[in-house]
Amino acid sequence: MVTTLQEQDTTITDSVANLTRQARLAAAVFTQYSQEQVDKIVKAMAVAAIENAHIFAQAACEETRMGVVEDKILKNLVASEYLHNQIKNKKTVGIIREFPEDNMVEIAEPMGVILAIVPVTNPTSTVIFKSIVAAKTRNSIIFSPHLMAANCSNLAAQVLYDAAIAAGAPKGFITWVQKSPRLRRETELMMVHPEVDLIFATGGTNMVRAAYSSGKPALGVGAGNTPVYVHKSTNISSAAMDIIISKTFDNGTECPSEQTLIIDNEILPALIAEFKRLNCHICTEEETAKITDIIRDPKTGGINYKLVGQSAKTIADQAGMNVPSDTKILLCELKGDIRQHKLAIEKLMPVLGFVGVNSVDEGINRSLDINYAGGTGHTSGIFSNDDDVVERFATAINTGRVIVNSPTSMGGLGGLYNNLNTTLSFGCGTGGGNITTDNVGIQNLINYKRVPKRKNFILTFQTTKDIYINPGSIEHLRNVKTKSAFIVTYGSAAERGHLSMILERLPSDCRVNVFSQVGVEPNWGTISRGIEQMRGSQPDTIIALGGGSVLDAAKIMRLFYDFPELKVKEVAFNFLDFRHRMNEFPRELPTQMVAIPTTSGTGSEVTPFAVFTDEETNRKISLIDECLLPNIAIIDANLTKSLPPQVTADTAVDALTHALEALVSILATDYTDGLALEAMRLIFEALPECMKNGANIVARHKLHNAACLAGMAIGNASVGINHGLAHSLGARFDISHGRANGVFLLTTIGFNAGIPRKFLPHSAYTEYVADKKYARAARFLDFATQKDGTTTQDLVAALKRGVYDLLVSVGQPTSIEELGITEEQLELAIPSLIEATFSDMSSRTNPRLPMILEIQELFQKAWPKPVRP
Amino acid sequence: MKTKELVKISGQLNKAQEQIDAKLAKGEDELELDFSEATSVSVEGLEWLEELLLHAQSANSKVTFINVPPTIYKVFKVAHIDQFLQACGGPPVSGPVC
Ligand SMILES: [Fe+2]
Repeated sequence: MVTTLQEQDTTITDSVANLTRQARLAAAVFTQYSQEQVDKIVKAMAVAAIENAHIFAQAACEETRMGVVEDKILKNLVASEYLHNQIKNKKTVGIIREFPEDNMVEIAEPMGVILAIVPVTNPTSTVIFKSIVAAKTRNSIIFSPHLMAANCSNLAAQVLYDAAIAAGAPKGFITWVQKSPRLRRETELMMVHPEVDLIFATGGTNMVRAAYSSGKPALGVGAGNTPVYVHKSTNISSAAMDIIISKTFDNGTECPSEQTLIIDNEILPALIAEFKRLNCHICTEEETAKITDIIRDPKTGGINYKLVGQSAKTIADQAGMNVPSDTKILLCELKGDIRQHKLAIEKLMPVLGFVGVNSVDEGINRSLDINYAGGTGHTSGIFSNDDDVVERFATAINTGRVIVNSPTSMGGLGGLYNNLNTTLSFGCGTGGGNITTDNVGIQNLINYKRVPKRKNFILTFQTTKDIYINPGSIEHLRNVKTKSAFIVTYGSAAERGHLSMILERLPSDCRVNVFSQVGVEPNWGTISRGIEQMRGSQPDTIIALGGGSVLDAAKIMRLFYDFPELKVKEVAFNFLDFRHRMNEFPRELPTQMVAIPTTSGTGSEVTPFAVFTDEETNRKISLIDECLLPNIAIIDANLTKSLPPQVTADTAVDALTHALEALVSILATDYTDGLALEAMRLIFEALPECMKNGANIVARHKLHNAACLAGMAIGNASVGINHGLAHSLGARFDISHGRANGVFLLTTIGFNAGIPRKFLPHSAYTEYVADKKYARAARFLDFATQKDGTTTQDLVAALKRGVYDLLVSVGQPTSIEELGITEEQLELAIPSLIEATFSDMSSRTNPRLPMILEIQELFQKAWPKPVRP
Repeated sequence: MKTKELVKISGQLNKAQEQIDAKLAKGEDELELDFSEATSVSVEGLEWLEELLLHAQSANSKVTFINVPPTIYKVFKVAHIDQFLQACGGPPVSGPVC
């Protein structure tokens, strides 16, 4: 019958359409199958393959005239029995893996329709392998056999398909291209067909390249050129036997099999003698030249495919050599520079090169020469009883499989000699132009759907363990166990009588040292002088007496006194989430610390924070860790009685800012909310009275407690954008912390109560409630008057008014203007202020993520004196 | 006047085949296939459904699928057969393949 080219094309197109349609429908139906259904099908297929292993092997040898029947039987069994054994209990349907600690599961999604290319060297074992792994992963598979092996490949496909269908597989999930002169063309069309989801190519380099060029996802494998280093520490007769087993396996058609041996010269004669004894032929130089001539195709420079999988005797005959018929391998010494040697290539036949070396270094280098001559990413081998040598070899060589003390061909297959995944497809990584170095298998035929549940952010509440809270509680110092105390304090502590209050109450046998050089905003120089003095006196207890700066300095001194090996730069990082930071602190500090605040502001006595100024960069550096928490805090208002009104107001406004910011922080909890609200109430109640009558101990007591409560709140919930703004303004214009905070309060409350342009992303923050929380504060503080409405916005306005009234009543500035900064000065400074605010850690826990333009607006809005809200 | 017939499919899809074939032979104008009790669909079932839709088209009658459970709806999606998705109420031309 004569057909026109056009008719032929129509036939091909019809065939392709038919094959892909069948596969597509089957893939769709397969998505419904359960693990039990799949496993039943896979088992039936494996059984059919085992029962027919012999028939398939014989058919393959007859059709391809390559290889050894017995070895092909073994390969078929590896691809069925071993493979089944390895995958039978593996999950490939539904949830296939669980990661309880990460709150995540993986669910399998089939890939769909696989186009599988089958090589001539393993025409039946590859079909068995690929159809079983396809079934196990619920994919359809279309086989494109090699033209020279199409009958045996398709026979295997048919037998396995029948078994699968009998076990309930979807109709058409295995199909194959019929043997015909159009086979190649049909395969090419399918490679670009929209219904093919993945190309799984094993075979000649051209096929694999075509697969990768198709534009579809492809699992291909590269070419091999296996170097095997035989180190002098090996057992010679074992190595010889293993190499023979491997290189003669199916007459060398396995691509991971040995191509060139690199042998330590010390054992070379003995090893060669052993090969000879076991009926291998050691070629003379002249014979090596003859073999080189015939196994390379003069036209392509590549391997002569007519000799692939032929026996040693056949090859020797063709080379005009006379060897006994039971010769196992033809061993050829590769003399001269092996990088130039024509036999230093992949020889898929029982021809094996060898070269002698004088050291491990030379052995590894010559192995690399073979490895990089067409075998990168594939397979290498080493025989050595020295683990260090094995590790050095494996580190240097670039192969997906480094087979140790075993045959590389069967070793590469996995399952027989080791626990590698059983495969007939050897991923070669990027070295071989592939995406994986895996022994390709079921794991590569699944789309993994990861299902992460929302991270369970563990919230905790931590603070100083022992807190003594009433006026006169300084008496507790008498009970503190110490033999050597180190007092960190400020310059005028003695003058104000604070120092003697401490000294009088320490045990009489206690050695005491005093460091009183801590000023406002201590720098590293001051802190390191303190540490040095501490080392001299070896205290068991550090007593910090003063305001926030003194307490912070003492906390840092204690850390570096206890852990001198710590480096400041390593523990002071700017980080996104202060509970998952990069820097590691000690678990706890052995030296006891007693914190006695003399101002009602920072609450440093109960926070894990400490700040100092780095004089080199003139930047503030924050240390944050719970190990910094003092052991004891004494909140005795008697120590604040002599505080000047200005300082009282400044520090109280800081405490008020702490309470307001902790309340709306993304890390706020029920625990910190209660503290923040009560701190506010106490400040609003006590601050005006303290300003009028500084000696009113009841008011002082309330204010002192308020600062401590607000400290506990920020110690756990942290602060927000107000502190970010205040830090940058304060540093730029030398404004005290409390005053700097005060001028932003009204604008930041308004900012946070609005609908954010950007929410702050954090797993612990599940709902935007800042406005409602401000409203709650207004209700709690009884700010809403009869005239005010009851909406959230009304209550937020009432809170702002309350804050405004307090600031004005205690003479605190409510705007940047009142700080003596002109509008021009502010405008000039804004670029650097924005940068500092944005990168300030305080902004990271603010409920509303401040955009750069918004930060600019916050500064600008805070400049003019506000009208009463 | 158009008549509307409802056929309920239970268990495996192919079980309702005869009943539907009979209805189609009677030349009903509109046929609604209720999948609410269908559990799975086989390749043969898909092929038959496709044929049914073709018949209906040539007989100028309309077939719609209702209450399609997700596992079967997904089969329709993966099968890349436009008519199935249209019978489920989808737009006439499918979007990108896959
Ligand atoms: Fe503060």
